[in-house]
Formats: sequence, structure tokens, C-alpha cells
Amino acid sequence: MHRPFVWLPTRRSLLAAGTAGLAAAGLSRGAHAGDVAKPGGTLVVVLDPEPAGLVAGISISAPAVAVSSNIFDGLVVLDETFTPRPQLAESWETSQDGLSITFRLRKDVSWHDGKPFTSADVQYSLIEVTKKTHPRGNAVFANLTAVETPDPHTAVFRFSRPSPVVWAALEGTETQILPRHLYEGTNPIANPWTAKPVGTGAFVFKEWIRGDRIVLERNPNYWDKGCPLLDRIVFRTIRDAGSRTATLEAGEAQYGAMNPVSLADTERLRGSADLTVETRGFEGSAPMYFFDFNMRRKPFDDIRVRQAFAHALDRTALARTIWYGLAEPATGPIPSYQKAFYNPDTPQYAFDPKKAEALLDEAGLKRGPGGVRLRIDHVPCAYGDDYIRAAEFYRQALKRIGVELRVRTFDLPTYLRVIFTDYDFDTHSAWYSAYPDPQIGVQRRYWSQAIKKGTPSSNASQVADPDLDQVIEAIQVAGDPAERHALIRRFQSVAQEKLPSINLLELKFFRVYAKNLDGISFAPFGGYQSFKTVSTSV
Amino acid sequence: MTVVLLTKATRVATLLSGRKRAKWPSSSFLRRLLRNRSATFGGAVLIAAALAAVFAGAIFDADPLDMVGRPYTWPFTDRLHPLGTDMLGRDILVGLVYAARVSLAIGFAAAALSTILGVSLGVLAGYFGGWTDGLISRLTEVFQTMPPLILAVVVVTVLSPSVGSIACGIGIASWPQIARIVRAETLRLRDSEFVQAAVSVGEGHLRIVAGHILPNALPQIVVTGSILVASAILTEAALAFLGLGDPNEISWGSMIGAGREAMRTAWYMTALPGLAITAVVLSLNLLADGLNDVLNPRAGNV
Repeated sequence: MHRPFVWLPTRRSLLAAGTAGLAAAGLSRGAHAGDVAKPGGTLVVVLDPEPAGLVAGISISAPAVAVSSNIFDGLVVLDETFTPRPQLAESWETSQDGLSITFRLRKDVSWHDGKPFTSADVQYSLIEVTKKTHPRGNAVFANLTAVETPDPHTAVFRFSRPSPVVWAALEGTETQILPRHLYEGTNPIANPWTAKPVGTGAFVFKEWIRGDRIVLERNPNYWDKGCPLLDRIVFRTIRDAGSRTATLEAGEAQYGAMNPVSLADTERLRGSADLTVETRGFEGSAPMYFFDFNMRRKPFDDIRVRQAFAHALDRTALARTIWYGLAEPATGPIPSYQKAFYNPDTPQYAFDPKKAEALLDEAGLKRGPGGVRLRIDHVPCAYGDDYIRAAEFYRQALKRIGVELRVRTFDLPTYLRVIFTDYDFDTHSAWYSAYPDPQIGVQRRYWSQAIKKGTPSSNASQVADPDLDQVIEAIQVAGDPAERHALIRRFQSVAQEKLPSINLLELKFFRVYAKNLDGISFAPFGGYQSFKTVSTSV
Repeated sequence: MTVVLLTKATRVATLLSGRKRAKWPSSSFLRRLLRNRSATFGGAVLIAAALAAVFAGAIFDADPLDMVGRPYTWPFTDRLHPLGTDMLGRDILVGLVYAARVSLAIGFAAAALSTILGVSLGVLAGYFGGWTDGLISRLTEVFQTMPPLILAVVVVTVLSPSVGSIACGIGIASWPQIARIVRAETLRLRDSEFVQAAVSVGEGHLRIVAGHILPNALPQIVVTGSILVASAILTEAALAFLGLGDPNEISWGSMIGAGREAMRTAWYMTALPGLAITAVVLSLNLLADGLNDVLNPRAGNV
């Protein structure tokens, strides 16, 4: 393998030698998937940033989910086609009118402290935790009025209106079932069990040394017999991307969750003999990257100006240069891989700077002194340097059509305030998760009711369009799946036609892991799911 | 009695007529500076960088931020881009020349700001002494307990990154050093005979400071100031490396900051602007050394 520095192999072998102990715990390097699975061993995962809490059901964040999906289960799990499959619920049926769902629960499940798992836990988790503390829970489960528990192994969800959207949120990475006997009557966030969680999952919490590592051990009484295969998982917090790359390359860790290395490094790692760069497993969170206008500022109220911007940005070049190919041009607000909802027949704005200039001329923005028609600012999201580099890309692209873009960068808290509280920007670029149902992740960009001052990832462009509102509100109350799908398709056309926001890219998040790992999940939430089926091959 | 008075008056007169003259640059000063090899070398590199900065537009009539070539072109592989291109396909040679503008501007502006702050506070403290000195010295100590880079990070973050805020942040973070030197010089000069003489003939504070103290402290100020320029350029690079550069301007620091992520695949993106910074910082240090040799009366070779 070609390496730019002579000293690198030496440093790498030094690191590898230093961690021989960990490697000897069961993970041999160089073997390839498909060989005999070997039970046991320790999996070392690099994780960043360190989660604030380990119970994602209470304080949800990507790293919290990645850890706690090993400790907690959900009622169902989505398969590759976004179809719910049994997990804690063995089977279920929806009533004809769509107003109730009856879940039959597994009978052989117990909490890590030995207490049996019952329908009371489901009732408590949905009504007291998800509906009250989950940032999206209250909206998704808005129509859930009660969870009835006719017997310990049956839970009946009662809705005031049909809510097909809940299927996108019932998976364990989004809605966890917590032990009622440890939480009832307490404030879940302040409950001491939140720092030393007790779940029903494949791994049992062992220890959390803050700033260093989280250790989980095999649950010998797990209901899914034959799982888990690993003895132990160690999550290590490493803040610096360069160190994470070195740790993975040295074999000191075998798995890097959620974009563990810099985009520039992925290209090199894709040629690695020992590591895999995997982009599947994030179709459920579905990061969609877009360019927003401040719709309350001139001249962005003029659709010709917004169209001109859309024609001026070369999304293919953006995906290739800034994202090193780890992105695809988006054609609308819903990613193309969410096939059940995706509508390919929507208005498109091909890269065409001449057309962009003509549109700006038409809108009355003629080139003035120095060839400048318009001076505006742009705020890229504060999630890393890649987004600032993308903003530099827009600046150069827009300069060609006579628009002078001044890039303003902020630290994360200031960025959130500038965009979502002060609305102090002309244009803005960021990504939001679309989630498996557009009602959860997409409508918040387009719905006038989602203009919520101070709420991150809300409608920052402040678009308030009657046509968009009408179709979004129709989706929310549609009970019939076919009618709902038709409305979602129409929503995509309206969103592309009105163009309050330019949908730029379907970002591809990625994991980096050792090639000798087996049983990695490629389901829509695979990037965050439990390691219960993972093993090393020999 | 009369004799004593007369003697004293004569001494004052003698002192005033023969007092130390300020060392303003003169032809003999220049000649001595040119004879100093390290100063000549440093000055030459610095002048070259300054010329590049001033005439960047004439050398390359292009926008250094334009994406003109294939990204990741290595140096010396493409005649159109002799020093290669960065990850966005921006020409590195054009970038280096234009970046000299912002890097030098920030360096000199920050050094000027900290020199103005440091000299004013240092002179006030040293000249007036007493509670003024106590107050200013404590303030200086407070600023000295804060690591300058952290202080600059705070200022730049609060003001949001721009060339002005970066120069301001570095300037505010680095004045204590020069304030302490100027205070010490002022303390020494305040008790010197020619200043005493000026006091005794009734010259005002301002005249004494501007006419006697500052000119004599100038060598120290010039030497420290040129080192401050060098350290300001380095601090700007460190800020840009931390992602606190002005995204609308190109500087050597911002080039390093952008190239940092690709260091393992394309080290030249970081190394080339790094070399430019090294050359300029080294030349500033050599120049400061040379100035010190020439201006310092205790150096012996005067």
C-alpha cells in the first residue's frame, strides 16, 4: 500500500504493538468476512462526541443511541425495506379504523436486574417518557391518547386519529422501552439509573469512565438465543479525527461509529486492506443537505432569485470535491433511497449559470460596478470544516453570476442562536435528518407551524406558504396509506416548485470497521443498532 | 552658597547641551545595519514578502480563491499550477502570494496595536510610579496569567472571525510583554541625569516623555515590536489552524487550516504555507537581532 510518509508504517506498527493486548482479546487482523464466525472477544469502538447520557430514550443524541441500542430494545426493528419486524413485540395488528394497534409482547424477557418485562413498561415508556421528554416524541405520538394493558403481555395503543407515522418511530433507536419499576414517580432525566442503565438488551452496562470509555458486557440471559456473540464492547471517546484514524489503522479499535475519520482520509482508507468504509446503515436518519434562504428578507421573496441560485450551484461538483463522493445530488426533500415515499418527477434546476444570470436580470438585479449584482451573507452550519469549505464553494460559484457572498462562521451555540433565534442571515446551509417518514424530519423545513423561535432544526428560513401548509397538514391527518403516499408525492412537487430551499445533497454518513467483523447490520438504522449479531471471523 | 548655586546651574547647563541625542535612523545607522549580515538577510526576505503582498494583483491577475484546476494536483506536476492545487482545486502559488497580504497585514496591525497599548501603559506606569504603576502593573499581570492564544481565541470567537477581529484579538493578547519592557526602560531613564535636568528646568510631563524618554527607549521598542510581528503571524496561523480564520480571506494560516485534514494524503498543502510562515518569521527574528546589535549601545561595537 502506498504511504506518503516513510515514518508512518513504523509509527503504526508501534501503535499496533502497544495494543497487542487488546488485539489478543480475540480480534485477529487481516482475515476476511465470510470465514467461520468466532464467538467471544472484545470489540473496541471509537465514538465521538461522548454522549451526555446513556439512555437515548431520555436524552437522545446520535452517540447516545449508538451505545444504548445495545442495552435497550424497542418494540420493533425496521428491516432493509423499512418494514417493521418483531423485537420486544412478537406480533401486532392494527384495527380497521386505524385507531388502535395491539402489540403481543415476548413472554421470556427480563430486565438486567432480573425483574420481568411487561406491558406496564411499554405503557410507562410511551406515555411518561417518549411523549414528555423526547424532542420528536410529542409530535410523532401526538394522537396517542392511551396505552392499555389488558394483560402483562399485551399493550394496546389508542389513537384519537389514524397515525401511520408512528411506525417510523417505534424502532429501538428512536423509541426505547425503559424499566417502569426503576423510573416510575421520578424525573427520568435526574434518575440515577440513567447513568448506569438497566435494560432488556443484548449487553449489560458495566462501567462508564467519563471522558475515556464505556464498557458493556454480554447479557447471558438475552431472549434472542444465540446472541450476542461478543463478550464485551468498549466504547472509547477520542476527540481528534486524526487520532481516531490512527487508532483504527493500528487495529487498536475495530469499529468507528458515525463518520469517525475526516472525509479526506476516507479516500485513503477505501484502499486499505484491513478496513471497510461503509455508507449503508444511515438510510433511516437520512441526512439531507440544503441551501436555505431567509424568506423574510429581500430579494429572496422573488422566486426567480431563488431559481437563479439553484441553477448556479453545481451539485455534482459539490458532491465530488467537498464530500469526496460521499454524497449524491438530491432531487427533492426526500432521499431517493426511501423508495416508498420518493417522487422522482419533481421540478429540477440543472446547473446552468447562463440561465441563472438571465433570471437575475429578469428579477431586476443587474450587474453593477465591479460586476456585482447582489451582496449577501451566508452562514454554514457549525458541524465542522467541511461545511465551511462548502460555503467557500458557493461563494466562488455565485461570484460567477455576480453575487458576492460573505461567509460568516460561528461556534455551535452562537450558530444555533444566529440561525434559529435571531434569524440573522441571508442564506444558510445545513443538513437535517429526514427520518424514515417525512412527517418527522422533512415537514419541519417547510411548514409554517414549524417556525419555532429558539428550536434547533426548525423552519429557519421562515417559509410560510399556503400551498405547502395545505399539503403538509393533509399528510398529517391522512389515515389511508395510499392516499397518504399520494399526498407525500405531491408535497415533493410543491416543495421543488416553490423552492423556499434548494435541496443539494443526500449525504452519505459512514462507518469504518475492520474487515474481519461479521454480522454488521445494514438496516436503515444499522449505523446505530446493537452489536448483538457482530462477531469476528478467524 | 553662591558658589554652590553657580556650580549647580553650570552642571544643568552642561547636561542640557550635551544630553544624549535620540537615535533616529540615520545614514550611519543604515550602514551599520547593512553591515550586519543576518539583519540584511532578514530585511531582504521581508521586503520580498511585502512586495509580493503589495503587487499580488499585478503578479497574478486572478482570484486566489477560485477553483481553477483539478483538486489534489501535486507540486511540480502541472505547468499551469507549479506548486499544485489544494483540495478544492485552488492554485497554491497564487494563494501563497495573495495570502502574504492578509498574513503581513494581521502581523503588522496586531503588533502596532499591542505596541501602542504596551508603550502607553508602560510609560504611564514607569513615569508616574505610585498607584498608577501599581494599578497598571497588576493589570499587566492579570493579562500575563492568561495564555495569549486562549485570550485571542476568546476575542476572535466573541467578535466572530474577520481580519479586523483577528488583529484585534492578537493585539490585545500580546501587549503585556512590551508594556513591561517599556516600564522598565522608563524607570531607568526617569532617574537619569538628563531627565532630572529636564525636570529641573520645568519641562512638562508630555515633553519629557516624548522628547527624552521615548526616543531613548526606542531601540528596545523597535526590537520587541519586530518580534511581536513575527509572533502575531504565528498566532494568526494557530487561530486559523483551530478553524478561527476569516473564511473570506486567504492567509498562510487559513491555507494550513484548510490543508490540515488532508495532511496524511497531501502534506504539501500544509507544508508550503508553513514554509512561507517559517521564512517570514525567521527573517523578522534575524532583523530584530540585527537591530538589537546595531541599536543597543551596550553592544560594544558602536
